[in-house]
Amino acid sequence: MIRLIINRIFATILVLIGVSFVVFAALHFSPGDVARTILGLGATEERVQALRQELGLDRPLLIQYWDWMMALLRGDLGRSISLGVPVSEVIFDKIWASLLLMGASFFLTVSFGLLFAALSGGYHRSLMDRLITLLMLLLASLPPFWLGIVLLIIFGLKLRIFPISGVGAMADDATLYVVAMHLILPAVTTAASSLAVVARVTRSAFIDEMGEPYVQAARARGLSQRRIISIETMRNVLPSFVTIAGLQIGFLFSSALFSEIVFNWPGIGLQLYLGIVQRDFPVVQGCVLAIAIVFVVGNLLADILSIALDPRRRG
Amino acid sequence: MIKFNKENFHKVKNSFLSGFLAIALASLTITSPALAEKNTITIGIEADLARLDPHISTTWNTFKALLHMYEGFVAEDLLAENVETPPIVPSLAESWEISADKKTYTFKLREGVSFHDGEPWNAQAAKFNLDRMTNPDFEFHQPGSVGLLSWVWGDLESYKVVNDFTFEIKLKQPNAEFLRRLSAGGSGTPRMISPAAVRKYGNDGINTNPVGTGPFKFGEREVGVQTVLVKNSGYWDEKRVPKFERLILRGIPEVTTRELGLLTGELDMISTPSPDSLEYLEAQGMTMVKGPVSTIYPIWLNFREGPLKDVRVRRAMAMAIDREGMTKYLRRGTATPAYGILNYGGPGWDPEYRDFPYDPEGAKKLLAEAGYPDGFETRLDWTMGGGGDVNTRADAEWLQRDLGRIGIRAKIELFDNGTYWDMLAKGTREGTCCMQVSWGETGFFWLDLILPTTAQPPNGFNSGYYENPKMNELLASARATSSEAEMVKILHEIRDIVTDDVAFIPLYTPIQVYAMRPEVKGFVLAPQHWADYTSVYKE
Repeated sequence: MIRLIINRIFATILVLIGVSFVVFAALHFSPGDVARTILGLGATEERVQALRQELGLDRPLLIQYWDWMMALLRGDLGRSISLGVPVSEVIFDKIWASLLLMGASFFLTVSFGLLFAALSGGYHRSLMDRLITLLMLLLASLPPFWLGIVLLIIFGLKLRIFPISGVGAMADDATLYVVAMHLILPAVTTAASSLAVVARVTRSAFIDEMGEPYVQAARARGLSQRRIISIETMRNVLPSFVTIAGLQIGFLFSSALFSEIVFNWPGIGLQLYLGIVQRDFPVVQGCVLAIAIVFVVGNLLADILSIALDPRRRG
Repeated sequence: MIKFNKENFHKVKNSFLSGFLAIALASLTITSPALAEKNTITIGIEADLARLDPHISTTWNTFKALLHMYEGFVAEDLLAENVETPPIVPSLAESWEISADKKTYTFKLREGVSFHDGEPWNAQAAKFNLDRMTNPDFEFHQPGSVGLLSWVWGDLESYKVVNDFTFEIKLKQPNAEFLRRLSAGGSGTPRMISPAAVRKYGNDGINTNPVGTGPFKFGEREVGVQTVLVKNSGYWDEKRVPKFERLILRGIPEVTTRELGLLTGELDMISTPSPDSLEYLEAQGMTMVKGPVSTIYPIWLNFREGPLKDVRVRRAMAMAIDREGMTKYLRRGTATPAYGILNYGGPGWDPEYRDFPYDPEGAKKLLAEAGYPDGFETRLDWTMGGGGDVNTRADAEWLQRDLGRIGIRAKIELFDNGTYWDMLAKGTREGTCCMQVSWGETGFFWLDLILPTTAQPPNGFNSGYYENPKMNELLASARATSSEAEMVKILHEIRDIVTDDVAFIPLYTPIQVYAMRPEVKGFVLAPQHWADYTSVYKE
């Protein structure tokens, strides 16, 4: 099992190197000229060329990549073009804000995903199963930018239960309660479709397990349906549940991109959006890289967890 | 092997959660609703600010903050009401003299003014800033400003300190707009930074430690969230001492979120609500302030694109577009049709001027005459826009429909603003007939970037390759005139030629909108891309 885990870690490092090159190359080949963006309207072509040289944009791609990588390992992500401050300063806080949002949405995805899966898979073809399946279908098809605005209108404007935006604005009265109030709607919005996917996949696993002989044996021994679902089959459902939940980390990031914009949540997604709009390529690189790292590491953790949970793979 | 028993799982979970929450909380703090604070005005703007160094500043949105922190020799009076163009008023210069040959400007500087860090304002400070902007050998030269501020210092010959409070600037040739350019902002702005601050924080440090002389001092900033400015109680101009303590600018790109924040009282004011929400916001008791802005949406026509080489085709396209209908039904009163290349608020704008009639039948005939009775296929390259642009895609669709009615079948391709400007800088690509951005200023210097043959890509934004050498001469002579009347006369000539050549199709002038809560008073909307917030107060 240790070998399996070491293999996975090694593969993860390779993936990260690949990701860093793709991020670097993608921005390098996207249309638009960084030098001109920096110098703005009215800069002469000579000035633009001079700056291109100064920034090293005229050197071979691999050499540029190598320098960029070395700087990266020192924690130097370059300087933001639009803001004039180091990228690492800009995105450090954003990563935590995003992780908070991600953590909350992941918690919702996992807990409610499992709950709904157990309630519908465990009671296959019951009315509850049908209702939950319908609800999940609905959740899976709601785009986050639409759901977010609708939730804001209902719970923010009409009912005034939750604030509209403003987390991250500077004042001294931040309490856990206030953060939580700001967090709930974006977390629900981000989690919605992932939650539905997790619930649907795990539901099938439950249905499969429910037909197994050991479940019949448990029934014959007189165990309650609730106990069968929550104890007996749960252990065998968990590995596939963990795998699908781990995969959701990536989807959660893409939903978070939308909900961060809708709720003006000061995370990496909002910063990425601002970076793209202002053509601030060091910021875009930094954001994409941060997202990729969290995604890859998240999947690694899910893999390790599912190895640990599955007796057949423990070795 | 990892063992998960209940006990150590909880331990791990708890220590992880508490550590995580502590860090997450440290990076996030919260505003209480702005409503509660009478002395704070929170404004939701379209995007977060860019660099805070005025000499290399970029976006119009950023200037909304910069104009409150920094000042230059002269300023536009943004509190003047009912004017087409904000008048130029003294700022850090009390008065000035212009020599008879219109080339030497002698500024008498205001005495007793100091920067926010206590550094005195005087001729040495002015020289420091001029050096920083224009002198490549200066220790604190800001290289980015040479290109960004070429529209201001392009004609600069020399400058010198005459005495402590007199500063002289010499130009290579007269420039009828020089004071206007000195007062402007948006793409770089010639405003004064405290020399002591530049020495202390370094060139790059100004972005995080802006120090000027304006009515607001820099408070704090969290990138992507908000910028807080604090009242400068010792501000020299009593009329513009802020009526409140803290000005908070929050960039909120999603328009619905801005509107909801206003309705719940988290924001006191917002700029640019959606045209579709105006009636609703008004019905909810919000105050709406509307007014035209010195902006125009002109369509660049591609002179290198087959059919468009024929002026009849270009004219037919112009005649096919229903500008009145567009402003009325699509923009729903948040725009007025624009006629002629001179923009509202800029020099020479004439409300009576008309260029092309809306006449789809005539357009069809003209197109047939030019040899395209069945029209042709082409493409509209469009941008989602930046700051104050709202739903520009709908403009492209309106155009697509109007052109379709005379047989011109156009595809739409949409780009983000940064990419789009690069495309403009490279020149309209093959297969594309039209491009459009919002532009226009209170001066005419932007025409220098789009009309002359010398501004063809990659040296400017004559991106449709409009070829009329007369433009170069006329623009140069307009710049060199010594009276406004003379300048306007030449600008009118330029406008008429652009119309005759159908080099551009002007689309509309936007009506900018601010929405504010009923208790917010005193706001004056200037016909500019930014406004002076010092006069605002809460009842």
